[in-house]
Amino acid sequence: MTATAVQDSIPAHVPPELVGSFNFYTSEQMVPTPMGDPQAATSVLHSGPPVFYAPNNTRNGEGTWVVVRAEDQRKVLQDGVTFSSNRRLFASALGEDWPLIPLEIDPPDHAKWRSLLNPLLSPKRVVAMEPIVRERAVEIIEEIRRSGNSCNAMDDFCLPYAVSVFLQFLGIGTENLRTFVDWAMDQLHGAPDKRTAAARRFIAWLDELQAERRKRPSDDFMSFVTQAEVDGRRMTEHEVRAMSVLLLVAGLDTVAAAVGFDLYYLARHPEQQTLLRTEPDRLVLAAEELLRAYPTVTPTRKATVDVELAGAPIKAGDLVACPAMTANRDPAEFADPDSIILDREDNRHVAFAYGVHRCLGSHLARREIVIGLEEWLARVGPFRIKEGTTPITHGGFVFGVKDLILAWD
Amino acid sequence: MRIRVDGAKCQGNARCWALAPDMFELNDEGYMEEAVIDVPDGDQEKASRAVRACPERALTLIDD
Repeated sequence: MTATAVQDSIPAHVPPELVGSFNFYTSEQMVPTPMGDPQAATSVLHSGPPVFYAPNNTRNGEGTWVVVRAEDQRKVLQDGVTFSSNRRLFASALGEDWPLIPLEIDPPDHAKWRSLLNPLLSPKRVVAMEPIVRERAVEIIEEIRRSGNSCNAMDDFCLPYAVSVFLQFLGIGTENLRTFVDWAMDQLHGAPDKRTAAARRFIAWLDELQAERRKRPSDDFMSFVTQAEVDGRRMTEHEVRAMSVLLLVAGLDTVAAAVGFDLYYLARHPEQQTLLRTEPDRLVLAAEELLRAYPTVTPTRKATVDVELAGAPIKAGDLVACPAMTANRDPAEFADPDSIILDREDNRHVAFAYGVHRCLGSHLARREIVIGLEEWLARVGPFRIKEGTTPITHGGFVFGVKDLILAWD
Repeated sequence: MRIRVDGAKCQGNARCWALAPDMFELNDEGYMEEAVIDVPDGDQEKASRAVRACPERALTLIDD
């Protein structure tokens, strides 16, 4: 974008001194970067204003306010009336207009949808899912070990693992795993036309599954939602679609990216690798610290009224971005925020957001990460970034790492 | 020592439960309901860590 175009995209009510030069898409370390550290690169924002305006700070090139500090993000994300989540992002990419359920529904309507889903992903329910999650991790890792002494961490492990746990949750087998992983790759890393095509394939597939389960219900997520009642009536086909699509887009790349960043970190820190391999009990705490250090998402809301936040004159209609990366490196919240301390206590990080939209799958995600790392460390020997290869990191909509080729002896 | 749970603020992060599963009873949705919890003697340190762990600030320590 030219300097003039950037100027034009800044609304008149934004004071010039609050226009920042950083955005999460095109700034240094946010673009694909060899051996980068994109989350750490956002720490610099703590030396600027607590809320600033970033032109060109969404996938569509819109400007947003950026809320840097944890305390201010809490105010935004805990107030779903002033800061609406109803952005209809997924639908608009398809040229349609409907909300993902429950993420893009605001309070008070939100509660009934969320209450329906909460029991399916509660901490206790997740404990019951652990054996199958572990089985999936072991299967995938053993297949990798059989095929040699190196692998592409994202394509061969992280993504198939996240996808197969998701398929398990939906209640279907893993025979279509590879097709699904290919779709997910298109959806995540494809050009815009590929992304749209992948999204349409996902929807068609979910619609088919829904029709099937309406005819012959079994004991799985899709059967549950097709039978469930909201406001004393069955959910419509459209509502079921809006719910299952959300679980799919929320549960795949986020978990895969988190495990990817963890392996990227451990590959570069052999001494921490050894510690966690020999004392796996440390993994629960370590996974929390890695979630703090390497979160991947930026919950973004739309202001419904004019409101001032930490000196920023936000107007109704403005987008307000709350990057988990900056809150998680807030010196007011964490001692020595830029150091990764795997046995850090009192780790009140915000990788799963705050407020009513707190990540519904957070309990499953936590266990997927811990179990995935535990099995990886136990089964694969000391691993490193393969000589002659260079992982590429990036910021953006979901932060990630790719071309992460791991090798072991 | 007691802990006041603000049920309206709880969003089911369940960090308190992760630290002290015997002290915090989650409902079927995985959330804490409005409550005042008595902290057993000897569990004060665990209780205050659980309070500090809440991302939503839904827990308050009452030091009797």
